[in-house]
Formats: sequence, C-alpha cells, structure tokens
Amino acid sequence: MSIITLDNMTRCYGSNVAVNSLSLDVPEGSLFGFLGPNGGGKTTTIRVLLGLLRATSGAASIFGLNVWKHSPRIKADVGYLPGDLRLYPWLTGHQAIRMVAGIRGMTLEKPGRSLAERYALDLSIPVRRMSRGMRQKLGIILALAHDPKLVILDEPTSGLDPLMQAALITHLRSLAMEGRTVFFSSHSLSEVEQLCHHVAILRRGTLVACEALSDLRTRAAREVMLTWKPGVSPPADAPPFLRVHTREDRTWRCSMMGSAVELVRWAGAQDLEDLSIGEPDLEVLFRRYYDEGETP
Amino acid sequence: MRGLLVKSIRETWLATLLFGAALFLFESIIGYVMPTFLNEEAARWLEVEFVQMMLKAILGSEVAGGLVTDAAGAIAWVHPMVLYLLFAHLMVICTRVPVGEIDRGTIDILLGLPVSRVALHVSELLVCLASGIVLLAMGCAGNMVGQLFVGPAAGTDPGGLAAVLVNLYALYIAVAGVAMLISALTTRRLYAVLLIFIVVEAWFLLSYLAPFWKPAEMVAFLSAMRYYQPFVILRSEGWPIGDIAVLTVFGAVMSGIGAVVFARRDLSAV
Repeated sequence: MSIITLDNMTRCYGSNVAVNSLSLDVPEGSLFGFLGPNGGGKTTTIRVLLGLLRATSGAASIFGLNVWKHSPRIKADVGYLPGDLRLYPWLTGHQAIRMVAGIRGMTLEKPGRSLAERYALDLSIPVRRMSRGMRQKLGIILALAHDPKLVILDEPTSGLDPLMQAALITHLRSLAMEGRTVFFSSHSLSEVEQLCHHVAILRRGTLVACEALSDLRTRAAREVMLTWKPGVSPPADAPPFLRVHTREDRTWRCSMMGSAVELVRWAGAQDLEDLSIGEPDLEVLFRRYYDEGETP
Repeated sequence: MRGLLVKSIRETWLATLLFGAALFLFESIIGYVMPTFLNEEAARWLEVEFVQMMLKAILGSEVAGGLVTDAAGAIAWVHPMVLYLLFAHLMVICTRVPVGEIDRGTIDILLGLPVSRVALHVSELLVCLASGIVLLAMGCAGNMVGQLFVGPAAGTDPGGLAAVLVNLYALYIAVAGVAMLISALTTRRLYAVLLIFIVVEAWFLLSYLAPFWKPAEMVAFLSAMRYYQPFVILRSEGWPIGDIAVLTVFGAVMSGIGAVVFARRDLSAV
C-alpha cells in the first residue's frame, strides 16, 4: 500500500516550473530518500504534501486523502521537520512540546522527555539561546513525539554532529522496522546509502530516477583496481565495461560499468598480480543523475 | 481549537495588559482633567472659532455651552491617543498570524500540526475580540476612577457611556477585520503594519476633513470613523444601532474575506 502518492503533480511559480509532472508512490513502512541538487524541487514537493502549497496540476495524496482538502486530518498522523527550521524564540524546549501537545490534543511530555534524552537535548533552554544543532534536535523531537505513522523530514541531519546524525539514522531505521514510513530529503549520498530502501531523484523539478536502492546498486559502477605482474605491460585499450580513471605504471584504477562475470572472464586472460573490486559506487551514479549534461 | 487559543492567549496577554494599563492611565487622567478644564474654561474657549472647528472635527458636531459635560465625556473616548492605543494594540495582535508567522518562518511548524487555516484564523479573531473587551473594560475603569475625583455632576451618564463603549467596540471590530485581511494578504509583518496604519490614517483624515471640505464630505461614508461619534451619542442619549451594525458587519466581512484568502493562499518558504 502506498502512503504517499503523487500523480503527475506539477507546481509552477509564475512561468517557472518548480516540479514537473512528478509521479511517485511511497510504500508503507519504507525509508524513502528524496534526493536532488539545490533547486531541484524537493522542498516544493514536501510543501505541497504538507498543504502549504497547492499543486498547479495533478494530484497528491497521503493515506489516500487529498493533501490540500484534508490537510489537518492527514497531519494528525504526520510528523514534519521543515528544511529551514524556525521555532518560537521565546519558548523553551518544554514549552514548545507543551504547545505542540496542546494543539495536537495529546500529552507529549513523556515521549518528549524520552526523545530529549535520546538526542541529549536540555529542554529547559529557550530556543533563542540554542545552537543550530540544538534547534534541529528540538525540531526532530517535535516531529516524532506523537509517534506518527508518516515522518516527513526535509534535510533532517543538517546542523547535527556526526554522533547525532548516527543516532537519528538509527532512530529512523527503528521507526521503519515498526512499520512507520519515513520520507526524507537529503543532499547527502552517504546518508541515503546508509538508510534508504527506496530513492527518488529530482533534477530541475523532473524525476530522473525512482527505484529501490538495491536495484540502483546493481547498476552502480564499482571501483576496480588492476595490477599487472612486474615486467608485464597493460593492454593499450581497456575493455568496454571498464572506464579507466588513472593508469600508473602497472596499475589501473577504473569503474566497472558491466557485470563482475565479464570482468573476471577478461581478467583471466591477463597476467595480473592483483585484482580488487570495491562496493557499488552510488556516488558516481548519483553524480550522473545530478549532472545537467548527462542523461541517466 | 483549544490548543490554538491557549497559544494565542499566551502570546498576547502581556501586550493586552500593557496597552490596557496605558489606556487605564490615560482615561483616568482625561476623565479627571477634561470635565474640570471644560467646566472652568469652556465658556471662554468655545468663543474661539478655531477651537469650535477643532471640536467639531473631533466630535462630529458643534459644542454649545450647555453640552460641556457631554463634550468632556465624548473627548475621553474620541481622543486620538485612545484610538491610537486601541489600533496599535490591534496592529500588534492581528499581524501575528498569519503574516507574523510567515515572516518569522514559524508558519511551517504551526501548519505542520493538525490545524486548519480557518480554525487558526478564527482562534486569532476570538482572542483579538476578547482582548478588545479587556482593553475597553480597563479604559472604562480608568475613566471612572478619574471622574471619581471630579464629582458626580460632571460624570458621564452610564447609559450613554455604555452606548459609546459598544460603538467603540464595533469600531475595534471593523479595524480588526481590516487588519486580519491585510495580515492574510501579506508576507512581511512590517508591510502589514504600515498598510493598516495607512488605512486608519486615511479614515482619520477623511473624518476630520469632512466638516470643512465638500469633496471629503461626499466620500466620508467610506471612513469607519464616520460611524463612531460619541458626542452625538451622549447628546442624544440613544443607541447608534445603525452605526454599530455597519461597523460590525464591515469587520465581519473583512475578517471573513481574510479567512478565505488565508485558507486559499500558497505559503512559500520566505
């Protein structure tokens, strides 16, 4: 079952098309990464989902409900962290939690305190005295305290130190294992690699990829290092499934564009001293998607 | 809705209390000074044509010798300081949501919660209306305290005072409606405050010019101040039902349009 469905959703700002005919299904219980360069249309899409912007055309729904018409009902089960998080400067962490609890009509003191311990945040400090990272933690706590079915996070790790980034990733994984759906936007490829089941990539408002991360891995180039025995000259031309980046004496560093079987078969005919094949390099793949000049 | 009301009250009570205290102080001073001054000096001052003109502009009617008590009572409620305190309070309260939230960037957090924009607008309106009652009550208390020192003969008739206060509250509703509409239309709080100020100033200007300038008189019905004339109320001892209705309906319509605009508008990241 899809928790989020976008059907040919387009959003324009005047003549500028921010998101162009975006169709997307986010499965229930998935960790869905929403990637793209700055200005790619990620935040606009999230704002449409939150009912802050209206789609120019097409449809967007969460839990099967239209995001514009049923926005308050939908948001009862959604936790949202904005990309450019701004909080009420005069409130302390405790007061912010109480305010959100009052509006949600729930008691959130206990889960709020528990999350604050998890993220090592002192809730007695006023927001105006908090650092950016502390405010981000408070934003995460406010988004997750009511145990939502769907979590929408716009670049959640920005401002967090590596320890807290890891804590958040662990937390989001545990939420997904409990059946919650996590939809988050990010620039960070390592974050996506660590966390996601599914990935969608937007470039200039257009969806250029949307698939399971495992499928992407099979298509991602692997780094290969070939070293020939002393006295043996490497061939003049590389085979078509290898893209050579550097040639140093007897050693080639390349990206493998085809299957490992082809490589092993070809390597068997070479007089090699060493052969190593790295993990699928998603970064190279993502860069190709991000790159304006290339079609994926 | 309850949570929104609590949030709104928490954010506004101090401003309401401060403006209320200022109004209390001013009304207690003017409640004492005006009757004393007019009783002692009225006859002399009312002979000066310019003073008569100014009083006519402020009160909307000529002040004759026997109507000094009514004039004193009316000035206490039509004095620019009183109106500016009320309208400044409205500018602070009514521009908090949505324009203040949009400007500050906190609208994302607020509308990320399960609240409808109409509920948000209504809760703000309710708190604004309740604050108006608190302000007027504090002003009225101040006025009564001031008049205690003058003596009962110089005091304003309670029935007339009630009619003036209800009429003033209707004016407050009218300005609140405009303020909420402007708040729903804009994205910068400063611009919203400036726009409200310009509208209120234009109303004042139109109202003050109308007695002296024919073209202004022809369009004076466009000014909300035209429907608030305490001196006429105190003199006639009647309730200005028509004026109260015009102001209340106008405020309700403006606020309603504001709710529709806010419910339909896009909220882009500022």
